[in-house]
Amino acid sequence: MPILLLIIVLGVLAIAGFVLGRRRALASVEGNTRRLHSLPNYYAWHGAIMAFLPAIAVLTLWLIAQPLIIERQLSGYFPTEQFENNSQRILLMADVRRVAEGLDVAVAAGALSETDAASLSADGSIRERLAGVGVALGADVTPQVLEASQAYRQLAANGGLWRSVLTLIVAVAGLLYALRITNGDFRARNRVEGVILGVLIMASTIAILTTIGIVLSMLSETIRFASMYPFKDFLFGLTWQPSFQGNSQLGLLPLLWGTLYISLVAMIVAVPTGLFTAIYLAEYASPRVRSIVKPLIEVIAGIPTVVFGLFALVTVGPFLRDWFAVPTGLGSSGSSVMTAGLVIGVLNIPFISSLADDIINAVPQSLRDGSYGLGATKSETVRQVILPAALPGIVGAILLAASRAIGETMIVTMGAGAAAKLDLNPFEAMTTITVKIVSQLTGDTEFNSPETLVAFALGMTLFVITLGLNIFALWVVRKYREQYE
Amino acid sequence: MYDAPTPETRLTQNTTKITARGVQVYYGDKQALKDVNVDILDNTVTAFIGPSGCGKSTFLRCFNRMNDTVASARVQGEILLDGENIYDKRVDPVQLRAKVGMVFQKPNPFPKSIYDNVSYGPKIHGLTRSKTELDQVVEESLRKAALWNEVKDRLNEAGTGLSGGQQQRLCIARAIATSPEVLLMDEPCSALDPIATAQVEELIDELRASFSVVIVTHSMQQAARVSQKTAFFHLGSLVEYGDTSTIFTNPSDPRTESYITGRIG
Amino acid sequence: MTDATSANVPASAPVPHASSLLTQTALMKKRNAAETRFKAYGIAAICVSLSVLAVMLWTIFSDGVSAFKQATFTFPVTLDPERLDPKGNRERDEMMRVTTIGYTNLLNQQLVAYLAERDISTEGVDDKDIAAFISRDTPARLRNMVLDNPDLLGQTIRFEGFATGRIDGYIKGRVTRDTAERDTNISVAQLDLADRMIDEGILSAKFNWSFLTAPDASDQRPEAAGLGVAMIGSAYMMFLVVIMVLPLGVAASIYLEEFAPKNRWTDLIEVNISNLAAVPSIVYGILGLAIFINFAKFPQSSPLVGALVLTLMTLPTIIIATRAAIRAVPPSIRDAALGVGASKMQTVFHHVLPLAAPGIMTGTILGLASALGETAPLLLIGMVAFVANYPAGPLDGGMLDPATALPVQVYSWASRSDPAFIERSAGAIIVLLAFLVVMNIVAIVLRRKFERRW
Repeated sequence: MPILLLIIVLGVLAIAGFVLGRRRALASVEGNTRRLHSLPNYYAWHGAIMAFLPAIAVLTLWLIAQPLIIERQLSGYFPTEQFENNSQRILLMADVRRVAEGLDVAVAAGALSETDAASLSADGSIRERLAGVGVALGADVTPQVLEASQAYRQLAANGGLWRSVLTLIVAVAGLLYALRITNGDFRARNRVEGVILGVLIMASTIAILTTIGIVLSMLSETIRFASMYPFKDFLFGLTWQPSFQGNSQLGLLPLLWGTLYISLVAMIVAVPTGLFTAIYLAEYASPRVRSIVKPLIEVIAGIPTVVFGLFALVTVGPFLRDWFAVPTGLGSSGSSVMTAGLVIGVLNIPFISSLADDIINAVPQSLRDGSYGLGATKSETVRQVILPAALPGIVGAILLAASRAIGETMIVTMGAGAAAKLDLNPFEAMTTITVKIVSQLTGDTEFNSPETLVAFALGMTLFVITLGLNIFALWVVRKYREQYE
Repeated sequence: MYDAPTPETRLTQNTTKITARGVQVYYGDKQALKDVNVDILDNTVTAFIGPSGCGKSTFLRCFNRMNDTVASARVQGEILLDGENIYDKRVDPVQLRAKVGMVFQKPNPFPKSIYDNVSYGPKIHGLTRSKTELDQVVEESLRKAALWNEVKDRLNEAGTGLSGGQQQRLCIARAIATSPEVLLMDEPCSALDPIATAQVEELIDELRASFSVVIVTHSMQQAARVSQKTAFFHLGSLVEYGDTSTIFTNPSDPRTESYITGRIG
Repeated sequence: MTDATSANVPASAPVPHASSLLTQTALMKKRNAAETRFKAYGIAAICVSLSVLAVMLWTIFSDGVSAFKQATFTFPVTLDPERLDPKGNRERDEMMRVTTIGYTNLLNQQLVAYLAERDISTEGVDDKDIAAFISRDTPARLRNMVLDNPDLLGQTIRFEGFATGRIDGYIKGRVTRDTAERDTNISVAQLDLADRMIDEGILSAKFNWSFLTAPDASDQRPEAAGLGVAMIGSAYMMFLVVIMVLPLGVAASIYLEEFAPKNRWTDLIEVNISNLAAVPSIVYGILGLAIFINFAKFPQSSPLVGALVLTLMTLPTIIIATRAAIRAVPPSIRDAALGVGASKMQTVFHHVLPLAAPGIMTGTILGLASALGETAPLLLIGMVAFVANYPAGPLDGGMLDPATALPVQVYSWASRSDPAFIERSAGAIIVLLAFLVVMNIVAIVLRRKFERRW
């Protein structure tokens, strides 16, 4: 039974649970709803939940477990050393699955009978027969793979049957259980609310699961990378030179340098501009001016980064090249550290200004009064009282902005260039960690090569840097908020 | 609205420091202060009393133009400090506030060291020429605020680390470090415990020797204890102004009497 | 009061003030100048940001508006049945045997003939050069037209066909005689002929619907490239993101705001959420590639995977906004509901949630807007691939078909070499920004309309 049909059947059973649960609750009190512990709908929902939830849980577990078990069962068809090797096993299993799917399609299209499919031998004709029904197989099918895939089909069919049977048994059992315990005294509301609470808790753990997913996915691939390429050379290598023939040099440092250099330029633009914007809006601007300017500045933050990327590529890059780099003889490339840095800086202005604005507004009015009462001017108050008082918060905001600049992808992809260099000239094209993640993962290289896997190591590096900055920054901001609460 | 002519009570030998004539204050459309006339004397503690929202704090904040920092506030009439109208166009409120210091309801030391708190005013107004001179001003101000002995060994510690009463005295020291001529105090003891209150009150009495002190207070006992002159405000008007002893023993206006005896307020 | 006596130290002002308030001291003048400067820095900072914004939007609009126009030929075409349906039975399968090359030749000959008839010719332009005016996309369109409606055969129709990118660029001013001299794809003589054709009304710039509806086209045919697939892909993704992120975000927020006990676990969740909100978006792309494509074997480039990635990415921001909306509902409402005997769960679902709904909607729309503009993670899950076929309908598994997304289309066009694609890229941005503006306006209207002051 296909999974979709199975789920539909479960849905029908749930509706039955809904109707029957309600009817039974009402019957148990002869229609006098006041004698029920909970509202009738809670009994209905209880019936539906008990029919659906345990069954769907069983189904999910089964779907996760079945491929793993089948894989183990198939180990007998292949030499052990092939099966022990992780990457070879993945390839083998992919072949097996593909052939099995092809046989499925062929049977469905009527090109093969069910018995043919099971008894077919690997005589080379299988490729043509499958191609005839529109399934293209990459390489020739070895006898082992064919046998394994025939066994795979058998196991999968058996598994599918048992999966349906078990799921339905659990659903019906849940339904019967719900009906059996339903009577006027049964606390259906508490039970249903408990289930809802469970769902709510599950939803809130998605955040944790995401983090775990990020860490695990990058960590496992990074470890694979480390098994193919010396990790020390990655961390401390001074050259980035991937080549498709192997012998790549994959040193992190030029990329890290590009990233930090561009972020530095960005922060030099964004921090003063953002801070002065925030100070003006918080301390000087009239409510009218503020209500117009603040949303306008925030428009910048709402524009997708790819738009900034195009701006860097089409406008800023050529402008800097023609007016600064070429006249001063510093370079001849539109893509440069300056281009990307300036544009990221502009992108970060609203980020810093709105965070700093909040933080400045959190400084208590009494401190301003104290300073004005002593005859300080506004700027003296800002510089000597408000900014020192807000300093931790502002440092936090700047660190968050720095972490954004480091992780920014589109602007550097379109505006910084692709050459990994350790150079000081800001009008040279340089490249960043994020650019290389994109280029290594969107190319056509084989997935199991160090040239591709290095992207995960780069991602891990990026994640660690930004996470460290974020955790520290958020901690600083939190401490700051507590101080004035 | 001229329901309380300034009583021509027996004047001390002290000269008039501040003269307010026809002062009206609006917050947006709402009138907060109606046509107030008052003469504040030098070397005297003047207390403003009255129920909450009667305009006494608003009036106090007119003397150093702190109302300028409230966008919706508008002040009419004239206030003369030593004969000069402080609402004149040529007057810089910043310069004025160096002459008219202020202490606020809640102690509000800056999140800096004790030394930096006190030296802040002299520094921004450029009152000292050298570090030693500045040290001297800080010490003098802290001594005048009766805080020197308690903090002299920890001048570099944060001002926010002091106790409430100490913080308020630090704020007083901070205010007098710019050697103002008038010291405004907006309910300076309302956030303090009785012991700290007593210390600050004693200090106010001593400050009278050097400054003209104007204090807003909720506590009539406090007004009676520290002030020589008292002004009673009600619903935005000055009801009665005179010697503290007269106001408390023989008020001329029935509203003053009701307030003092606790029937309104 | 040990030092009470010291307070009697005579007041000795270190430096006397200027006696009059009416004159400014020199120092005061300096201070006021510093004040003015400081304020000017603030105004300058704001001006810098806003003028960069203005320049950016202006350049993109001026580059992009022309993408909505397209140089188009209008001339009579006689659809010769002999050539287009050699067997003459109007069978679709039979007619399919005539390839686009057949149509290309037909169009070329008819254009040349038409120009000869109108006596339009230019020195140095032969028939081959005239044929090169017609976009390679145009015969395919004519072929589809004929296949869909065989009755046209034998008729003479007024056919509108696209000109090539160079001619298009000439009409829009991107290609000039100077650039043509250096260009192997077009000659100055051809431009002269184009001028004649414009004068005769054969060639003109028309509004280009196919820019909004057509799928992407290859490097050689910028004039045929459209946003159709990208818009369908973005629409599918936004739909999936809404139905995933809204329940998840609301459920998580309700739990954290209303039910969660204050303990280490919930603390961990909170720290996690605020950190996830600040993780670079490309990291989510890596997550999507590793988990959804390599591990779970979902199809590459599919809107489903894109939506999953964007959901995980937007979830933290949505949770933060939703929690703020829930927190804004005053506790008195909860007390009132609990006071009449509602359970905690009923209180939340019957009272708190409806009151928080406008705030939640506003936050969700803004979150969606940022998801709509997100590019980097989609690159990694393969949405940057060249997709020339529309995905199937949403109910026919279209969510699993390869597609692109609007911002990704902007990127992939921007990285092609022909400058005609830069124009398309800017045009795509205009479309993208139009959607974002609409979403933001909806959010603002919602907020204005339902804003409550408790």
